Amino acid sequence: MQRIHLLLTFLITLTTHAQNNAFISGEKLVYTASYNMSGILTDIAQVTMETSEVKTSKATLLRLKCTATTYSKWDNFFKIRDLYESYVNPKNLTPYIYNRDINEGSYYKNMKYTFSHKTNTVKSIQKKKNNKIENKTVNISAGTKDIVSTMYNIRLFDFANMVKGTTKTFVIIFDRREINGQITFLGKETISTAIGQKECYKLAIGSSEPDVLQGKNSNFLWLTADANKIPVYGKFKIPVGNGELKIKSVSGLKN
Amino acid sequence: MKKLFTILALVASVVAIIFSVLPISNLAIFPAIAALIFGLIAFYLSKKSGNVKKIIQFTFLLTIMALSITIYKALFTKTEVANTETLEATETKLEEEAIEELEELEFDDIEIEDELENISVDE
Repeated sequence: MQRIHLLLTFLITLTTHAQNNAFISGEKLVYTASYNMSGILTDIAQVTMETSEVKTSKATLLRLKCTATTYSKWDNFFKIRDLYESYVNPKNLTPYIYNRDINEGSYYKNMKYTFSHKTNTVKSIQKKKNNKIENKTVNISAGTKDIVSTMYNIRLFDFANMVKGTTKTFVIIFDRREINGQITFLGKETISTAIGQKECYKLAIGSSEPDVLQGKNSNFLWLTADANKIPVYGKFKIPVGNGELKIKSVSGLKN
Repeated sequence: MKKLFTILALVASVVAIIFSVLPISNLAIFPAIAALIFGLIAFYLSKKSGNVKKIIQFTFLLTIMALSITIYKALFTKTEVANTETLEATETKLEEEAIEELEELEFDDIEIEDELENISVDE
């Protein structure tokens, strides 16, 4: 009985540490990715972030899916059909399988990760256009996540009780390499979006890799300051002008 | 000086025309404004010397065409996504493959959580 009690206490501590109260399966967020040069916006692609339930005989998982599709006017010039997905534990977003299938112009690449959290390794399979398959096992640190589950994981942080200037760090595995990322909470800001005027948490996103995100404190993300913590606006620095990610529509929200 | 501004106006108006027919038509407004400014300077300088060349009027014509195409595209072109069948097929294929692989994986943490729920119910 005492052992069960101890186990229960331990597990409750674990699960309450990163409870998912921000989203459920069936949520769909649609964004417009644009290029902004001195206030002149050029819409480039539609980005969709979707969650769905996946059942296996052993467990029910959450599928986190992100797609990027160029608008038809761009398709003849540079067609993008990218898919990023992660199969995660619905409670703490621990990833088990990650897929990245990118079709950009004439470039094609598929990357699949199978996480083994017991051994802290990732089994990766990379496929390219000429059917070249490359298998590699990579060692990871405990808590390393893929890019998709990390994006969703940011929504689980308790910003309401966070002091302005607080920094959170995380490790992402991307292209079979671990990258250190960090977000800094910059406070609250009210912005106008396609889903109305929203009070938001403003975050600065940074990375240890200079090629991933340019400049320090020049990439920002706004999450709604409610229980859903929907990412409604993103601003990213590129060599000339800015890249922007604006919410277009939302559905299937948890709260 | 007159020649320099004429060349700049011509180059800017050609760039504006090229931009206006590309998907980045909104950005044609920048070279179009530059072409108008350079064209007006060239026109003023030419008028002062009493010899206005046809090429300057041609740059104005190109600029007006570029602006017309840009405005038309901004007002009447729909930003929509098309040809997503391949992507949808990939999504289904990858999901099926992932489910197959997930069946073989062991989810210690989820199983323990299920056990935890069972214990709570029993008690």
